[in-house]
Order: sequence, then structure tokens, then C-alpha cells
Amino acid sequence: MLKMNRRQLMLSTVAATAGAAIPSALMAQQNKTLVIGNQGAQSHFDPHAGQDYPTSVLMRNIYDALVDAVGAPPQIVPRVATEWTISEDGLVYTFKLNPNARFHDGSPLDAEAVKYSFDRIQAIGRGNNWMINGVVGPDSIKVIDDHTVEFTLLQPFAAFLQVLPWISIVNPAVIEANAGSDMGQSYLLNNTAGSGPFKVARFEPESVIEFKRDPEGWREGGGNTDTIIWRYVRENTNQRLMLQRGEIHMAVDLTSDDIVALEGVPGVKTVVEPGDRTFSIKMNTEHGPTADVNLRKAISYAFDYDEMLRVSGLAELMQGPLPSSFFGHDGSLEVPRRDIEKAKEYLAKTEWPEGGLTLDAVYVTGLEQERLWCLVLLDSLRDLNINVNIIPATWPDMLSMAESPEKFPPFFCVYLGVGYADPDVIAYAGYHSSRNGGWQNPVYKNPSVDALIEQARYEPDSEKRAQLYAKVQRAIVDDAPDIFGVVEKSKVGLRDNVEGYTFTPIIVQAVDFFPLSLKG
Amino acid sequence: MLRYLLFRIALIAPLLIGLSMLVFVIGRVLPGDPAGLAAGPYATAEQRQAIAAEYGLDQPIPVQYWRYITGVLEGDFGRSLMTRRPVAGDLAGYLPATLELVFFSLFIAILIGIPLGLIAGIRRNSATDMTIAAGTLSAMSMPQFFLGLVLQLVFGMMLSWLPLSGRLPFIISPPPGVTGFYTIDSLIAGDFTAFRYSVLHLILPALTMALAPIATIARIMRSSTIEVLQQDYVQTERALGLPSSLILFKYVSKNAASATLTLIGLYVGWLLGSTVLVEKVFDWPGIGLYATNAILNQDFNPVIAVTLAIGVVFILANLVVDMLYGVLNPKVSNKQ
Repeated sequence: MLKMNRRQLMLSTVAATAGAAIPSALMAQQNKTLVIGNQGAQSHFDPHAGQDYPTSVLMRNIYDALVDAVGAPPQIVPRVATEWTISEDGLVYTFKLNPNARFHDGSPLDAEAVKYSFDRIQAIGRGNNWMINGVVGPDSIKVIDDHTVEFTLLQPFAAFLQVLPWISIVNPAVIEANAGSDMGQSYLLNNTAGSGPFKVARFEPESVIEFKRDPEGWREGGGNTDTIIWRYVRENTNQRLMLQRGEIHMAVDLTSDDIVALEGVPGVKTVVEPGDRTFSIKMNTEHGPTADVNLRKAISYAFDYDEMLRVSGLAELMQGPLPSSFFGHDGSLEVPRRDIEKAKEYLAKTEWPEGGLTLDAVYVTGLEQERLWCLVLLDSLRDLNINVNIIPATWPDMLSMAESPEKFPPFFCVYLGVGYADPDVIAYAGYHSSRNGGWQNPVYKNPSVDALIEQARYEPDSEKRAQLYAKVQRAIVDDAPDIFGVVEKSKVGLRDNVEGYTFTPIIVQAVDFFPLSLKG
Repeated sequence: MLRYLLFRIALIAPLLIGLSMLVFVIGRVLPGDPAGLAAGPYATAEQRQAIAAEYGLDQPIPVQYWRYITGVLEGDFGRSLMTRRPVAGDLAGYLPATLELVFFSLFIAILIGIPLGLIAGIRRNSATDMTIAAGTLSAMSMPQFFLGLVLQLVFGMMLSWLPLSGRLPFIISPPPGVTGFYTIDSLIAGDFTAFRYSVLHLILPALTMALAPIATIARIMRSSTIEVLQQDYVQTERALGLPSSLILFKYVSKNAASATLTLIGLYVGWLLGSTVLVEKVFDWPGIGLYATNAILNQDFNPVIAVTLAIGVVFILANLVVDMLYGVLNPKVSNKQ
């Protein structure tokens, strides 16, 4: 017995010496190294080929753009462009570039590079090209001189400055030298061609990216960190545990439960802010029973929004199609809230005054939160004698369902994340009929809503735009194409020695490394 | 034996072709829009079509298969729709990580399972036997994802003995790749720090995977031991006065292990399958996770490549097991 105890004691000592030292000692060794836990596995370094948040991390840190979006709500601030003018008709944008801007190889970042980059993203036709599709054409960009570039838009686009942070500038010389047959896309699988404040020092797919601050970087200021470790941690619970243990300094994919668990944990602080990702249950407005607007309204009034909010964790109910933090959101908008009498009134106007229907609700398999909301729907509609058949489906299957009204189910759960901070991104993608067949707006179409969205898109005057968006919201709510759900709060966890972090609600996980510092 | 082995090796090619065909057809006939998914949320119909054309998804299934299989014969497994990287390169990175985990788990399972079974068999119906039986039954009933989380909580969080996840601390660069196994590569490079940490990182995920095999191996080993102990030759050896240790280690354990070998061969396949869950819990960058992501995104090329890779490993493991029968039992090799 004594022998076993000794053994156990020895094993314990060895394990403790070996293991306990891992996080704290290693973190201490590297006091200018900041580690960020995330779920965004990076597979390439091409800012023009992706639009997910790992690609946005590259855009913010390895590459530069003409302008930056900072703060909440996001403000457009200079980056490569030091100043700009906009013509009265909103068509011509002229940017003055910072003459100090340099690529990582030391070559100047000039107007030609800007033109080359916009031409490249359009030629590749992937990534964030959709943001400028139909706005910037092949002949839109003119190089005035080395440090002046002029954009003549195909049509006015009020959100133009808001999309610019997401169109990166690449080094033309590097791309051309390695263009191959795909404009350098293969080259950028493992290499970079940027000018941003960080370079890639190590890349282990699905594991770690090590970013090193460029000592020759052209931007002034910045934090004291010299290395950022972008550590892939798939499970949000693991991110939370690692943050608690001090193995990482930031966790960017936490859930509401994690935030609750982190309350009062020494050395950890949390940031919980209104987010930009909306959740709604889209209804088939073109085919089947929900094509009847009265049935959609009956459902919208029967839905238990309070219960939805209760099971949502840190979130707020949506008041119409736009998040409340967005420019143009109409705070006076009246939206359906649970009112069974009113729901029954609308139901009485349909072919099914007594209910007796069974409708399919499809959600993404594995997304527990969506399943819970479907259960709220099921429970809510019992009062109308409507049964809901909840079906989990993989995301590719759901994409396939969105292709036509005939394949589209009566209820379709969908999160809509935004790419830039302007109501256009939700209004156009989520409710304009040109997006029919895609998952953001599979079937809904209303010519008068289309016309309003287009007017708002091109209107340069902010006040007039806000009025147009108010009309858009009222018209959409009147059509009841969706059960407007919730906007989940954005959640970030930090060690308390992290300084310089600024919350920006657009693509929250794509942290801007430049201002980050470590205290002590 | 040699003829038998050659016959088994010759069977590998048709088996793999059949396997690839099956997975290929199943993948293609499933509903879904992989090109749309790869194109991203805001892509136009033209962009989706361009991607479908780029990856040949707009071609008839037989044409797609022919292109794929001829590519495979040249070592080209196509490109992943999601990562846009060549699948062969992805596999070369992820497969060694998974194999290292699988072999380490198997090593733990054999190291613990065989002696446990032997002891239980020798001390049949004793308190030790009962305890081992109860322990193995509990181990077999425990779901892996739960066990993994419990081990993380106890050894990672509460005791801080072992790392929570990953293959190495972020601060340590992986050793130069020779085999892709960090433990072996770090020894080759003489980097003992990397070796130490790679072993430490292996312990929790490997233990999570090994627990069920330990239990099964111990139970089979116990039955075989009991059976062998009742054989006439053991009784004769005892009557001749041979030392117990000699009887047990030279004759009983060797013969009892033959039955366990089949199980070990099968467990290679089982362990490869169970990496899907364990790699997720422990952030292990292996093919389990790669395959899961590929399946959820209907990214066909990686799915087929992973299936083929698992198929090859499984077939080879069973081939090695068959060869080991001959080593353990000369009668087998003489017969064949």
C-alpha cells in the first residue's frame, strides 16, 4: 500500500512539474506575445478570395485598405487614404494616398496598386467582390498620380466608404511575379503580398498562425505587442477554460453560458456589446400555405417572442428587419408581438380558420440555438392548432432548398451576418428580389420594396436615406415575410492585462491587432 | 504464408476502387449545393456556376469519377472546395497527426489491456477479477466525448497536470517533418523539449480513445487466458515442474494473445473512426476533423481521400495482424 502511495506521489510530482508549468511559464517567457483563441481556421492568405472571418483577419492585419472602420457604430477613418472628396452627385470619389505607405518588400503602395487590387478582385469574382459588384466597373478607376486615385462609380452607392475596409490592396509586383494561371491565387495559399502592420512568421493549418509586427511598418503608433498567436480552438468551452487558465489572452467565440461562467473569474474581463448578426425565421411567401399573407401574420402574432428571448442568452429582440444599432433603424416601427386574439383574427381570413395544418421548419443540424427557437415556434403555434414538423438539415441541403419556391420549406431558420456597417447590406441581401434563389432571400419579392431599397442604396443624402429605410422597414413588416427574431450580443473575453482593444461590431472576431498592448 | 500475403496485397486495389466508387456516388447523389456553399453567401449565380465548372461538378457523374480516379493514380486527389488547397497536401499534414494519436492509443490499450486480462484470467473469480470486470464494464459504457471533457476538467483544469488541447504549446515550433509524428520527429531532431511536450499533449486524447479498447482487450484476454490455462499442455508443463512465470509468460500469454490480435487489428479502424469526436474535443489537427468539416460542407474530394486513407490504413493494419499470427503461432504459417 505504501509502495503504491509512493508511486502515486512520484507520478503526481512529475506530472505537476511537467504540466503545471506549461501555460504560465510559457506566457511569462513571451510577455510581448498575445494569444487569441478562435474558431476561424485559416486556409489561405488571399484577401480577395474569401469573406469569412479568418480572411477578414488578414484584411485587417496583413493587408491595408483605403480606409478603416473603427468603433461602435463603426466610423470610417483614414488608413492608406489620408483624405478623400466625394462629388455632389455621389459618383466620383477621389482619394489622396499616404506617401509613406509601403508594402512588406519595401516597394511603395501607390495609386497603381489600388487600381490593380480592385481589378484583381473583380477578375477573380470571389470574396468581397459582391460588395462592389455593379458599383465599380472595369473603367471606374483612374490613376491621377502616384498618390491620387479616382473612382467613378457606375451608379451612386451611399455605402461605398463602408465597403472599402473590406477590399484589400495587394502588392502587384509580388502577384505578377507569381501569377501562374490563377492571378496568384495558388501563390497566396502559402504566401502574402501585403503592406499591413503584421507579417506571417508561422502557419500550421488548423492549428496556429504566428503574426509578427513588421518593424519596418509604415503606420505610426500601435501597441507594444510584437507577436500575435492566432490559436485555433474549435470548442468555445475550451476557449473559455484556456482564458481562465491564462493560456490565451483573448477568446472571440464565447457563448452566453461562457460569459456567465466567466463572471467574477480573477484576471478576466468580458466585453458584451450589441452585435450585427440577426436571426429570423423566413417563411415561404411564394408557395404553399405561407404564401397567404394572413397566415404569415397570424403566425407572426402567435409567436412567443418573450420565450424566444428567454432561451437566447445574451440577445435582444429585433424590431423589424434591421438591427437597432444600425443607421436607418426606425425606432418607432410597430412589429408583431404575441397577441393570440389578433393571430386568430388573421387566421380566420385564411383557408384554414381552424388551423389543422402541419408545416415544416428547417434548421441547421447541430445548431442547438436554432433548434430551441424551432421548439418555441412549435409551442407558440399550438394555440392556432398548427403543428410544426422540425427538420434538421446540413447547410448545403438548406442552400439547395433555397433555390426555388417549390423546394423552399414554410419555415427556414437563418442567421444573417453583415459584411459592412450599412443598412444596405441587410436590406439588399435579405429583401431585394434580385437575391431570390440565395439563402438570404430565397423567395420574398415585392416590386415596391425593391424600388425603395434601390432608392435608398443610391441616395447620397443621409436624412433622405433614413426616411427611405423607414419606408422599407414598414413595407417589409407589412408583408410579414419573416418572424423577426433576435440579434445576439457579441461576446469577447480578455485577460485583464490586455490593453488597446476597441470593440467594432462588424466581423467582431476579426480583431485589429495593431493597437493591442500587454501590460506589465 | 507468402502466397497468402501476396493474395491479400493483390486484393487491396479492387477493394479501394470499390470503396472510392461507393463514396463518390453516394456523395454526388446527395441533395445539396457544394459550389454555392464554397462561393459564399453573396455570390451570384454566375459565380456559383463558375466554381462548379472549375471543380468539374457540372459534368456527368461517370466523367467526374473517371477524372478523379485517374488523378488519384497520379497522386492528385483534387482540390478541396472549402480550403482551396490540394487535398493530397492537406492529407499529408493531417494523417500523421491522426495516426500518431491512434498508434499511441493502441500502445496504451495493449500495454494496459493485456496484463489486466492476463491477471483477471489467472485470478479467475477473485476480488481482483471482479474489480477488473467492473472497471472494464464501466470503461466500455462511457461515451468518449464525456470522458474527454472529464479528463480535461480533472487533469487540465483542476490539477493543471496536462495541457487541454493541441499537439504542442504554441510557443514551440514543430520539429522538422520526417514522419509527421511529432514524438518521433522531435527525437530525430534531438529536440527533447518538443518530445516531452508532444508526449504530454498526447496523453489525454490518447487515454480518452484507449479506454474502451483497454476494456475489450482485457476481457478477451481474460477469456483466452482461462481457455489456455485449461489446455493439456499447460497441465503437463505444471506437472513437469516448470516455473509458473515461465509457463505464464512464454506459453500462456503468447497463445492467449492470438485471439486478442484480431481485435487489435479491428481496433485500428475503430480508433480511426473515433478520432472524429476526440480530435474536436482536444483540438487535434487530424483527419477526423478534416473529414467532419468536409462532410458537413459536401466537400467531396477530401471525403473520398480520407475514406481511402482510412481504408488503406485499416487494410494494412489487418495485414500486419495476419502476419503476426504466423509469428505467434507457427502452425498458422505452416498451414498457409
